[in-house]
Amino acid sequence: MSRVTFQSLILRLQNFWAERGCIIESSLDLEVGAGTMHPATYLRVLGPEPWNVAYVQPSRRPADGRYGDNPFRLGKHYQFQVILKPSPLDVQDLYLDSLRAIGLDLTKHDLRFEEDNWESPTLGAWGVGWQILLDGMEITQFTYFQQAGGIDLAPMSAEITYGLERLTMFLARQASVFDIDWTAGVPYGAVRKQDEYEFSKYYFELADIDVHWKLLDIYENEARRCLEAKLVLPAYEWTLKCSHLFNTLDARGAVSVTERVGVIKRVRDLAVRCAEQYFAARKELGFPLLQAATTHG
Amino acid sequence: MADYFFELLTEEIPAWMHDAAAATLRDRLGDLCAQIAGRAADDTVTVQSTSRRIVFVLHRLPARTDDQTKFVKGPPRTAAYKDGSPTPALLGFLKKQNASLDDLIEQDPQYITVKTVVPGVETKDILARGVPQIIENLRWPKMMRWGAGEHSYIRPIHSIISVFEGEHLPITIFGTQSGTQTVGHRTLAPKPFNVSSYNDYVTKLELARVVVDPMRRREVMVHRARALSNEVDGKPSEDASIWSQWQYLTEYPGLVRAEFRREYLALPEEVLVTVMRVHQKQLPIRDRKDRLTNSFLAVLDNNGDPEGNAAYGNSFVTNARFADAQFFYETDRRKKLEERLEQLSHLQFQEKLGNYLDKTRRIERIAKGILDDADVATAARLCKTDLVTEMVKEFTDLQGRVGGIYAREEGLPENVWQAVYDHYQPVSLDDALPRNLAGAVVSLADRIDTLVGFFSIGAKPTGSKDPFGLRRAAQGVVQILLNRDKREVKIGIDQLIDLGIEAYGGGASVKDELLAFFAERVRTILEASHWQFAYDEIAATMESGWASSLTDLVDRLAALKATRSDPNFLSVLDSAKRIANITEGHVSRQVDSSKLEHATEKRLNELADVATSQIDDMVAHRQYRPALESFAAMAPELETFFKDVMVNVDDQAVRANRMSLLRKVGGAVMKIADVTKIVVDRRDYRAP
Repeated sequence: MSRVTFQSLILRLQNFWAERGCIIESSLDLEVGAGTMHPATYLRVLGPEPWNVAYVQPSRRPADGRYGDNPFRLGKHYQFQVILKPSPLDVQDLYLDSLRAIGLDLTKHDLRFEEDNWESPTLGAWGVGWQILLDGMEITQFTYFQQAGGIDLAPMSAEITYGLERLTMFLARQASVFDIDWTAGVPYGAVRKQDEYEFSKYYFELADIDVHWKLLDIYENEARRCLEAKLVLPAYEWTLKCSHLFNTLDARGAVSVTERVGVIKRVRDLAVRCAEQYFAARKELGFPLLQAATTHG
Repeated sequence: MADYFFELLTEEIPAWMHDAAAATLRDRLGDLCAQIAGRAADDTVTVQSTSRRIVFVLHRLPARTDDQTKFVKGPPRTAAYKDGSPTPALLGFLKKQNASLDDLIEQDPQYITVKTVVPGVETKDILARGVPQIIENLRWPKMMRWGAGEHSYIRPIHSIISVFEGEHLPITIFGTQSGTQTVGHRTLAPKPFNVSSYNDYVTKLELARVVVDPMRRREVMVHRARALSNEVDGKPSEDASIWSQWQYLTEYPGLVRAEFRREYLALPEEVLVTVMRVHQKQLPIRDRKDRLTNSFLAVLDNNGDPEGNAAYGNSFVTNARFADAQFFYETDRRKKLEERLEQLSHLQFQEKLGNYLDKTRRIERIAKGILDDADVATAARLCKTDLVTEMVKEFTDLQGRVGGIYAREEGLPENVWQAVYDHYQPVSLDDALPRNLAGAVVSLADRIDTLVGFFSIGAKPTGSKDPFGLRRAAQGVVQILLNRDKREVKIGIDQLIDLGIEAYGGGASVKDELLAFFAERVRTILEASHWQFAYDEIAATMESGWASSLTDLVDRLAALKATRSDPNFLSVLDSAKRIANITEGHVSRQVDSSKLEHATEKRLNELADVATSQIDDMVAHRQYRPALESFAAMAPELETFFKDVMVNVDDQAVRANRMSLLRKVGGAVMKIADVTKIVVDRRDYRAP
């Protein structure tokens, strides 16, 4: 196989999951910390509607930025996210097939599923699952969602999150993330390094703390207004913006321990209300995807 | 006789849960075997597991259970027959017992008795009902739901094998029906195949790259670890916990050796070992002189690493981790621990108990109260500063040790750095104590601060809930104070609590609660750990005080334990109980010798005077064993007294005087123990 590039990996995963009936969604056009926060995951896992989706999600974690100096750490990385709802019994085998599809001969590698449960206090969500280690290196998070927005889920969703940079680094045997090819002849570093530097500088040094605290109040209020107007999707977007503001303030070292608990609670309250309202709204619509499935299934 | 064989194929079960689950299964399956065969021999049940299967065999079961004969008593004979015919009472009884008049036997002269035979049951029926129940009811520490979400278990269930007498015995677990089919290794031999028996299963699985017996996987790994280490002229580090993780992380027992970059050996060894062991589940290789090398072992669920992928991957992650650690290490060393104190004020200890600078100030104050010493003061001041280092933020389990390492590198005295390094010890009953006195003092100060603080805001442990680890904190205090031979920390829990309360400004009224909390820990430790004192010995000596000195308590306990089987002592104990009963409510020990009538009581009084003064003298010098022996020496005289002298006489004055005499005798060793709390079996010391 030709040398693995970041892009070829995405394309192969996309094709693989598309062939298995997934909707190929696009990335959410907002700053989020993980693919889980995309409404295509957080909201769609609620309720009885079947949902199979795959998408790339740029994920921002301001505190993880290293000015582009650290070969392993990024303030923004790309996740490939898959949701299968209800989780099929052969979901692990499907996953192994996806690794074969990106060119891995699994008989020549060590592949293990080690316990790693997931919990998000800001989303009121948790799940049970594994980190998947390829030759000792974590390449995927695999989670059976149990609860989202404080709501017990049924049917259950399986979430597969591939760390795209890590996987490419490993397959291409590159020691620095900046040396992997985005596509042949275009290194990842040439595309992204400026971004890593500038945002590290911004999040750690420049971001105006007062402005961010004020924005948090404003965004939170806007989210509440949307919730009161029963517009759950806009409300959820404002909630995500609050979450990102919190991450920014945190990276900036502006959140004390006591404040942290308070802000997390503010965001969670919004997220939980969004989840409840989304469920109610889908119910009111008669769970359209459930009907589609019964008609065409 | 036939075997029953079972396999549950699931998805990967967390490694740390296997042992406990296997133990529970063994118990419950043992009960099931006992129900079938009327016995549960140790070798009846075999339980094995791999990362994704649970397997068991029940050996040598009969095809059906034995018939059981039962005798059941019915109505009185007088009510059973009227005019020679069976009454409705008798007929009703027979009907209920599913018996006829022929089953009546002449056993009891007064009551009707029937003999009934409960026929045996097919073993397969018991298995078909019992096995699903046992498997479904197995409680796992963290359960999950999957698919439609109707079942809750450790992981989704894929298939079940259930075979009895060489044939499929159909069962259903959470809606999954059993069969005789399984699959091999996930990536090496994933094809399904059929099996006819356990032996057939083991053989076919081995061909399909699965070793089903965890002990065998472990043996193979241990052997392989030695061979791989030998190749680089080293040996695997000692580490019992890694093997039990490795054996359950795999279906095939593979290992690979990998290297990290040699330059990282300059990092503190504790950091390297923690990253490898805890974060990467790898085992470092040491050289012949026990020094860390840059080679390590990693587990592999594969039979080899022909292309070096696993070696490459493991090196890659470990190097990445160490690169981070090196960055933290270099960043941290730019700032001295002393300069970090101020930063502690931004780190919250507990919302109502202030930040870590507040805590540090209290630790300093308490430590000074225990021992006014310059090294103790420095160690107390610096002990929490590593909490604001990058290294501890990343590797929290290294708290204390990182501070100790940095203090050592800053050139602080050995007393100081070791004290900082050790002050979280002991973390469990078998953990080492702080190496030096300063470490013991700081550890005590830190713990009592936490205890007084949390008790004063009403956050004490309830039931099994102890979110702040307060039981462990108190246990550590007790362990340190008990260990007098190595550490001269001359302070009792009583004073320690006072120091803690003072450090919070003296307002907290938690002393009684804390004393009771500590008393419970003292009892538990002295009974359970290597001390092995009996419950009644502990109760008796603690009644005579414990909070002012635990080492004194142990001295008294040791003396009591050594003396208690002496026949005279047992006799005296017995008498002490009679004394306690007879003199209940009587307090005075003042004997008016002019009112003593019998020669026996006069002799006892003189003896008591001599013994009491001897005992008091010995107690003052902490010579508890001879003191108890002097006490025991009064036994023959006491026995004579109880034989010859009546205490409860009508003459009030005489009676009171005799009671005083007995109180004097009985109370002679009250400073050592309340001996009435010792449990004595009279047969132990005198023939009846």
